[in-house]
Amino acid sequence: MVKIAQVAGFLGSGKTTFLIELAKILVDRGHKIAIIVNDVGEINVDVRIVEMYGLKAKEISGGCICCQIAGNFANTIAVLQNTFHPDLIIVEPSGVAIPWGLKRAAEYSEEEMDGEVIVHAPVITLVDALRIDELIQSVRRLVETQIREADVVFINKVDSATQDKIDMAVKFSRSINPNAEIMFGSGKNNQGVREAADLIETRTSPRYDESYEKEMLKKEYGRKA
Amino acid sequence: MADTMNHLERGMASLQNKPVDRLVTYPLAMGVCRRLVGDGKMTYRDWASDPKKFASAFIEGQKHFDFDFAIGLMDLSVAAGDMGSTVRMDDQNTPFVTDPALKTVEDYETLTPPDVKKGRSKVLVDGTKLFVDALGSQVITAAFLEGPLLSLTQAASAEKVFMDMYNNPSAVHKALKTITEYNANMVRGMGTTKCAGLVWDYLWGSYSCLGDKEYEEFEGKYARGLNELTGKEGMAMCIHNCADLPHLDTQIKAFKPAIYSMAYYPLIPGSPSAKETIEKGYADNCLIGGQIDPQGFVRWSQEKMQKTTMNLLQEVKTAMCARGLHSKYCIASGCEVPPTVTTRLENIKECVDTVKQYGQIKC
Repeated sequence: MVKIAQVAGFLGSGKTTFLIELAKILVDRGHKIAIIVNDVGEINVDVRIVEMYGLKAKEISGGCICCQIAGNFANTIAVLQNTFHPDLIIVEPSGVAIPWGLKRAAEYSEEEMDGEVIVHAPVITLVDALRIDELIQSVRRLVETQIREADVVFINKVDSATQDKIDMAVKFSRSINPNAEIMFGSGKNNQGVREAADLIETRTSPRYDESYEKEMLKKEYGRKA
Repeated sequence: MADTMNHLERGMASLQNKPVDRLVTYPLAMGVCRRLVGDGKMTYRDWASDPKKFASAFIEGQKHFDFDFAIGLMDLSVAAGDMGSTVRMDDQNTPFVTDPALKTVEDYETLTPPDVKKGRSKVLVDGTKLFVDALGSQVITAAFLEGPLLSLTQAASAEKVFMDMYNNPSAVHKALKTITEYNANMVRGMGTTKCAGLVWDYLWGSYSCLGDKEYEEFEGKYARGLNELTGKEGMAMCIHNCADLPHLDTQIKAFKPAIYSMAYYPLIPGSPSAKETIEKGYADNCLIGGQIDPQGFVRWSQEKMQKTTMNLLQEVKTAMCARGLHSKYCIASGCEVPPTVTTRLENIKECVDTVKQYGQIKC
């Protein structure tokens, strides 16, 4: 079994810092961690930072997720699994990636691995409390998409943000995804990261293929499977 | 069932919503067709750098698969590369930007339009002309270009551009104007190839990324001019958008393309299926293309490809009959068939052959 944990969030939301702290905690708990970065343009910087901490990092890139990146991503997971054998792969997708698309792509890697099954950890979306008003104005749609598909919304940088900003981030997140669990913390000061690691270790998120089949059955027969 | 119309007759009838012997089909197989040329070992780098090799894939693809269209998609980094971005060209992978050229606000403002007679822009125009010369009498041919906002996000990274739309909008507009100028020159270049149509990739027209107002400000107003120029240069304006929540009212009803190619994301609430697209009238005046999952051409068995194609045909035929349409749907992949070595060529053929066998429509 290989568990995939997505840490989503827009540019500047603190993904890389959070991800490194998260990985260090999980390594201390005995996990073998690999990290995949999908961040066209900033990719090499992130990979270098990640590798400074002795974690295995791979980059992916390419065209659009529905055709090209999906194949690259699946292949990257399979190569990591076949050579490095991590029990947990943390993915830092681009701020414009769709979490469902990455889940699907991850599951495709099963065909290239010897009997391994992909399990998804809860999708964590970081929301930058410091810049929430700016994000809502500038990239509202993209932030909405990432919150909509999150299992956990992690309101980040709460150690620096005002309570008003934190409240605004919570209200915004709840309005888009009332079912998501809301967490608070700061990747920089390792606040809340341990709790996020607990969730990644103990919980799962639905698989794409199962959800897809259910949706197709619903479409075909007009009812839930 | 044997075809009783040729590709051009069927394609033209479909564009005009006239009765056809069967629905048109075009799995978007572009780069993958390089595997049909010569010994099958042509690298992607060679294919995307040499007009003759680029054209040869379309010519061999047509012989092998018997498509109804030929559309000259190379990759999404052509313009960004010619703007100075570093493009990684692997042997068997789509070229992609590894180091964007535009890193600062000043870079947006000082950008100059790339020379369309140099670099891969020239390869694309020359290669398009070669396959249009070879196939134009058999099928409907079209060129393929990235829209201005897509080119900019390739040349500067998407997240940066989206933040700069808010923080530095005037600089973003300056870059978009420059890229639109480049695009206009590319349109004129493509016009000389005598291709029947030109497909614009307007990927960012997605409600997951931009609302109507932002889309109009950062792409719509530039796209309108390019769409008009496309027609003036003698090509039918077409659009490809594989986003999850496409701006159909703008891109189909307002822009009025002859063909609109789109994908379907069943788990994204509101992502329009083929049936919904037809029911809501988007196919009334536009030939819609879609929506087989491109990854199916890599992952599925031939049996699953046949079943999926048959299901889509049934869905489309039922919806079109209810809407009083004869032929306004093209059975296609929602995005490019992955051009990797693992794509199953037999699945492309299976899709086409299934449409030939079961694509007849009688309401």
